[in-house]
Amino acid sequence: MLQPGLVDGKLGSAGRVVVTHVGRALLDGSLPADPASRLAALQGLLERVDALTAALPPHAQAELSQLLALLATLPGRRALAGLGPDWADAGVPDIQQALQSMRTSGLSLCQQAYQALHDIVGAAYFSDAQTWGQLGYPGPTPL
Amino acid sequence: MSLLQDPILDGLRRGWKVRGGAHGPLPADITCDVAIVGSGAGAGITAELLARAGLQVVIVEEGPLKSSTDFNQREAEAYPSLYQESAARKTEDKAITILQGRCVGGSTTVNWTSSFRTPDSTLRYWQAHFGLDGYSTPALAPYFSQAETRLNIGPWLTPPNENNDLLRRGAQKLGIPAESIRRNVKGCWNLGSCGMGCPTNAKQSMLVTTLPAALDRGAVLLVETRAERFELAQGRVTALRCSAVKPNGALASGAEGATKIVAKHYVLAAGAINSPALLLRSQAPDPHGRLGLRTFLHPVVMSAAVMDHEVQGWQGAPQSIYSDHFLQTQPIDGAIGFKLEAPPLHPVIFASTVPGYGEQQAALLRQFPQTQVLLALLRDGFHEQSPGGKVGIRSDGSPTLEYPLTDFVMDGARRALLTMMEIQFAAGARQVLPVHELASPYTTWAQARSAMKTLPMKPLLTKFVSAHVMGGCAMAGSERLGVARPDGVHWQIGNLSIHDGSLFPTSIGANPQLSVYGMVNRLAQGLAKGLSGRDVVLA
Repeated sequence: MLQPGLVDGKLGSAGRVVVTHVGRALLDGSLPADPASRLAALQGLLERVDALTAALPPHAQAELSQLLALLATLPGRRALAGLGPDWADAGVPDIQQALQSMRTSGLSLCQQAYQALHDIVGAAYFSDAQTWGQLGYPGPTPL
Repeated sequence: MSLLQDPILDGLRRGWKVRGGAHGPLPADITCDVAIVGSGAGAGITAELLARAGLQVVIVEEGPLKSSTDFNQREAEAYPSLYQESAARKTEDKAITILQGRCVGGSTTVNWTSSFRTPDSTLRYWQAHFGLDGYSTPALAPYFSQAETRLNIGPWLTPPNENNDLLRRGAQKLGIPAESIRRNVKGCWNLGSCGMGCPTNAKQSMLVTTLPAALDRGAVLLVETRAERFELAQGRVTALRCSAVKPNGALASGAEGATKIVAKHYVLAAGAINSPALLLRSQAPDPHGRLGLRTFLHPVVMSAAVMDHEVQGWQGAPQSIYSDHFLQTQPIDGAIGFKLEAPPLHPVIFASTVPGYGEQQAALLRQFPQTQVLLALLRDGFHEQSPGGKVGIRSDGSPTLEYPLTDFVMDGARRALLTMMEIQFAAGARQVLPVHELASPYTTWAQARSAMKTLPMKPLLTKFVSAHVMGGCAMAGSERLGVARPDGVHWQIGNLSIHDGSLFPTSIGANPQLSVYGMVNRLAQGLAKGLSGRDVVLA
C-alpha cells in the first residue's frame, strides 16, 4: 500500500520516516553527537522540512510526495536507493552508501532523487539560527 | 519595531489601490486603459510611464506585496515569499536551478543590484541576425541614461567585500582585467542582504521607485493574483482572466479565472518563462513556431575556494567586481564565452549547494567563513549549438523549461571552471572545489587542472544555476523570426505588447536588469504616446 509522502503539503508518516533517516546520514558530522540532542535536532529538521514543502507549488509537492512515498516502500527503497535493510534498521554507512549509489547512478531519476533529498535536507537544517554556529555564521547584521 | 521608513506601508496609508491577499478580495470585473501582467523590471518602468501619461493602469502580480518591514535578512522567509517556486524552480531535467523573483517588484526586489548596459557586441548580433536595426548603442543610450538617473545607477565607491576583492586580486596576478560593477542603490548600508529584499530601501528596485510613482497616480495593483489567460478574438485581446492564489501558487478560494479585466491595451511583463507560458495557456497564435523557444539562462557554474583568512561572503555588497575578459577576447559567435563574478554567500544556499554529505560535507560547511566563491555566466544563444531552452506548460498550466546542456555549453563550463580555479589559487586559496558531484577539494592548481581533464561534464553531475532568464518571446524585424515586433507589440495580436526580458532574442552577456529598464523605457514611451498622445519620460 503506497502512503503519500506529503499530506496537505507537509510530511506524512511515510515522508517523516524517509526524511529522518536520510537526514541522519546526510547530516552526519553536523548533527549533535549526544543522542538526545541528535533526536531533537532531527525533530527540528522535520518541522523545517514541513515549512519548506508547504511553500512549494502544487506540481513540486506532488512530485516530492511521490518520491518520498516510493522510498518508504521496500521495493521502491531497493530499486531507487539499493538499500536492503529497513530505514530504521540501517546504519549511517548503509544509508550513505545508498545515497552515493543514487548520486552517481546512470539513471537521471536516481540522481534527481538524491539531489532533491540533499538540497531539501541541507536547506531546511541550516535555515535555523541554532545551526549557524557550526557554520561560523553570526547571523544578519542587526539594524 | 524598525525605525526605518517603509514607503509601501506609507503608500497604503495614503490610500493606494491594492487588492488581493490580505488587501481584500479581487473584484469580478475591472475595466481600465492598460492591464500590465507582472510587476518586475519591465512592468515597473511601463507602469510609471503609462500612469504619467494619464492612463488608468492595472498591475497584476502573482506574488505578495512585501516591503522593508518584512525584509528581515532571513533566507527561510525570503525564499518562499519572494521567489518563484521557493527559489527552487528547475529546468525539466532538474539540472539547472533557477532564481527568479515572484513578489511585487519581481526580480528587482531580490537581485544583487548589478547594473550593466547591453553590450555593443550583443546589439550588433541582434541587428545582423534578428532585423533589429533600431537597437544600436547610440539609439539606446538616452533611454539607458534616463533609467540610470531614475534608479540612481552609478559607480560603487565603497571598497569591495573580500569575496569580490579576491576575484580582483586573483585576476590581477594572472593579468586578467577586472572592473567595478555599477549598482542601483541610494544610501546603501553595505549589509549584503540584497537577495532577501533590501531592509533599508536603499536598493532602487521597482518596489520603491516606479511602482509607488504609478500607485500615487491612481494605478491599481492586484497581488497574489495569477494572470491565467488572455481571451482572444480577431487578432485582439478581449479580456484577461485572473485567479486569486495562495502563497504557494495554488488556487485560492474562488473559481479559476474569476476576475475579468477588460482593457484597451495589454502589456505582458511576467518575465521570461512566465510570459511565454501565459501566451501558451491562451493558445495565442504562433504561425512560425517561435513562442517559448530560444529561452536563455546564462547557465552558471561555480567554484568554491577556502582561503587562509576570513572572507565572510555574506557581508557587504554582493557583487562589485567582474571580468569580461573571457567574453571580449573571443568572437561572440565562436566557442561560448563567460563573464566572471562573485555571488553572496548565505547559509541556506550554501548548505544546499555544497556537494556531498556526512563528515566530508560537514568539513566544507565548517569552513564557511573562509570560503570564497566565483561564478561564471555562460553567454548562451549566439551559436547554432546554443539554441537555448523551450518553455512548455504542465496539465495544471504551470510552466516548464526544457533546456539542453549541449556539449557546446559544457565545453564552456569546463573552461570556466578551470579559469575560476586558476584565479582562486592565484589569489592564495589553500583548496579549491569546482561545484560538481564527482569533484573533491584540490590543493594545488596543477592537481585541479589535471582533475578537470577527466571530470565528466554531464548535466546533474556538473551543478548549474541561473539567475537570468531571457527570451521565449523574442522580438525581431520579421514575423518569421520572432513573437514581437521591434516596438514590442505582438506580431499577431494588435493590442498586446511584451515588455520584459522575454523579448531578448539571445542572452545579454551581462546581468540583464538594466537591459530591461533601458529597452522597455523606450518601448513604454512609444506605447504611452500611441495610447495617450502624450510625451512622457522617467523623472
